[in-house]
Amino acid sequence: MSRHVAVLAAAITLVVSACGGTSGGGAAGTSAAAAACTVGVSWNNYQEERWAKWDEPAIKAAIAAGGGKYVSNDAKSSAETQASNVDNLISQGAKALIILAQDGTAIKPAVAKAIQNGVPVIAYDRLIEDPKALYITFDNVLVGKLEAEAVFKAKPTGNYVIIKGNKADANADFLRSGMEQVIGAAVKSGAIKIVGETYTDNWDPPKAQTEMEQFLTANQNKVDAVLSENDGMAGGVIAALTAQGLAGKVPVSGQDGDKAALNRVALGTQTVDVWKDARMLGKSAGEAAIQLCKNSDPSKVTGTAKFTTPGGNSLSSILLTPNPITQANLKDVLDAGWVTKADVCQGVAAGKVAACN
Amino acid sequence: MGASVPSEAGAEGGPARSERSFGATLSSALAPVTGLLRSLEIDTRMLGMVAALAIIWISFNIVSGGTFLSARNLWNLSVQSASIAIMATGMVLVIVSRNIDLSVGSMLGFLGYTMAMVQAVWIPQSLGLGQPYTWIVTLVIGIALGAAIGGLQGFIVAYGGVPSFIVTLGGLLIWRGFIFRYAQGQTIAPVDTTFQMLGGGTVGTRVGALGELPSWTLGVVMCVAIVFLQITSRRRRRRYGFPVRPMWAEVLVGAVTCGIVLGTVWVANSYPLPPNVAEAYAQEHGIPTPPGGLFIPTGVAFPVVIMLVVTLVVTFLATRRRFGRYVYAIGGNPDAAALAGINVRRTLMLTFALMGSLAAISAAVQTARLNAAVTSLGTQNELDVISAAVIGGTSFAGGIGTVPGAILGAVVMQSLRSGMVLLLVDSPTQDIVVGIVLVAAVGLDAVVRRRVS
Repeated sequence: MSRHVAVLAAAITLVVSACGGTSGGGAAGTSAAAAACTVGVSWNNYQEERWAKWDEPAIKAAIAAGGGKYVSNDAKSSAETQASNVDNLISQGAKALIILAQDGTAIKPAVAKAIQNGVPVIAYDRLIEDPKALYITFDNVLVGKLEAEAVFKAKPTGNYVIIKGNKADANADFLRSGMEQVIGAAVKSGAIKIVGETYTDNWDPPKAQTEMEQFLTANQNKVDAVLSENDGMAGGVIAALTAQGLAGKVPVSGQDGDKAALNRVALGTQTVDVWKDARMLGKSAGEAAIQLCKNSDPSKVTGTAKFTTPGGNSLSSILLTPNPITQANLKDVLDAGWVTKADVCQGVAAGKVAACN
Repeated sequence: MGASVPSEAGAEGGPARSERSFGATLSSALAPVTGLLRSLEIDTRMLGMVAALAIIWISFNIVSGGTFLSARNLWNLSVQSASIAIMATGMVLVIVSRNIDLSVGSMLGFLGYTMAMVQAVWIPQSLGLGQPYTWIVTLVIGIALGAAIGGLQGFIVAYGGVPSFIVTLGGLLIWRGFIFRYAQGQTIAPVDTTFQMLGGGTVGTRVGALGELPSWTLGVVMCVAIVFLQITSRRRRRRYGFPVRPMWAEVLVGAVTCGIVLGTVWVANSYPLPPNVAEAYAQEHGIPTPPGGLFIPTGVAFPVVIMLVVTLVVTFLATRRRFGRYVYAIGGNPDAAALAGINVRRTLMLTFALMGSLAAISAAVQTARLNAAVTSLGTQNELDVISAAVIGGTSFAGGIGTVPGAILGAVVMQSLRSGMVLLLVDSPTQDIVVGIVLVAAVGLDAVVRRRVS
């Protein structure tokens, strides 16, 4: 009888710890956590490649370097699960939290509760509208600005087409406002004419291709430059340009550091690929968490600045600077080990691009 | 299976009384017209669709200042419609057999990804880049895999007795999930240069279209095939004592069908190669540049050629082969079909396998056209394909639907979409319009059919 109870208890422990889904390896004992700085990370959807491949190792390394301990769980794309996950992390002894929010509004009560209990919160990559949170992300307005700058430098006048991302995604408008900083004056003076501008459902590349075909048709091919907000859509745009024999003659922008897009930069069909190194983001968040363990005031973390949110809150933030990759500095992504030379330089004629030699 | 039958019967109830006088007037006014249609054996639904398409085209043309009906835009439209149209031909048979396939978009994504991996990763890594046979090996692998996974779904539906809605809903999730499994969200690009031709794109001076003379040849061959089919059909009807169309009606139908085919060829040949491509092409082929500038006709694009061949083959299967007639018999009454000795299960499984291989062909077209496989490939295509079939006159009650109708449905859908992009209408508004048109087309058709027949 007593043996059955023991087996049952062991089974329950197993199930509970399995359900906790700690992807950080070893079990998180509350006793051990008290001394060191335990950092809890709440992923919204660990299934996506990026988090496991780039962000998590960088966060782990930064925390380990600061003498801290890493615990995590996964909300599997559910806002409700994430709210209870945040509580779980605190009961596991987390002294600072890094949250990749599934829903920046729905997570607010859980975040407010954590901060009240003296556990500082880092809003990782996505905004959480809480004035006491620390917001760490790449500067999306700047990404848009860098995209436009590279294209503007290549074509300061003429007919522009702007292919924007999903309308429901605030980033689409952040990027567009960054572009406006660069081309706004030229549009006003008439040097640049916007002959086509549209949102694209789900940032879908085939849709972007159809849009570009229609813009080219409507303007009898008189399109001089294309501002595409990301790499996937740039691929669709360039396929449409290729069909008209215009690829490589019309500058096109993009962002994300996709393998295929970096290859297009090397081939000369895409002008710029604004690259956001997820490892920098992870490192920055891990280091900030260690600092927050010692002093829970976000504004005291090194490198922070005030950021006014679309919701009107003012919070501390670290906005990282993305790196615009053109043919001239393709070497950066290779040196960083982001992609292999074989992938980037596929089909590039010998001697044409320095990074491929 | 057949769960949607009661809904149509139910719709007959309510508002009929108040509309009866209107309906009576309408049918008496249309009496000579319906008589004409009867001797032509043309579905009123089909005719309504042609009229709707004409209205859409003409109004877009007026609003866009003549751009919409330019040869270039019509050429674009034909290429943009092709991949949905190819799948819609198979969807007609699936829906006619009282089933549904919700997985086509995900299957397309999965198959497109597989084909991209084969030609951009697996073959180059093991045998080297730029093999001349890469494109055909890729295509054969894709179509075989498509038939296999379509057939697997069909097997579960037919032999396992699981409703097709459930099986293919599962498929929708599973195949999409597999894309993430083996590509981890990466874009696979570029595809083989010969393979790219399947999408109607341009690589250097190679253009994914037939060119002038082969296009006309294709048109003439198709006309001969159409007339031949008409003659054999007439003979067979005589032999079995079935009624035949009056001779004038037969000639008219043949002339109109041929006219559409040759018209398509003429439009495609009126679209010249873009100046940059034309110059390079002329240089390579030693064509001197005339004073008025080059005019090299593009001809019918390969995706459209593929679509025409698929249409011909599936129409033949559906109307002239035992398999197709069984599908319609099963859709009309599954029990009677089984009692008549038809192997219902096998036929159903084959329908799904056919759908899978058509999804593979569409996947090849889309991947080739984009010159890349992306994770969102084929997202929501199932809705476009089902809409095209339904706008094209396929009935969810089973037993009714034609392949040419579905092609027309796909063209209607794509005309709306690309026309609105031309007029700078944003995407949420596009969705609203397409949604309204879908419901209105089927609703209006139901009303008119009740009154006229």
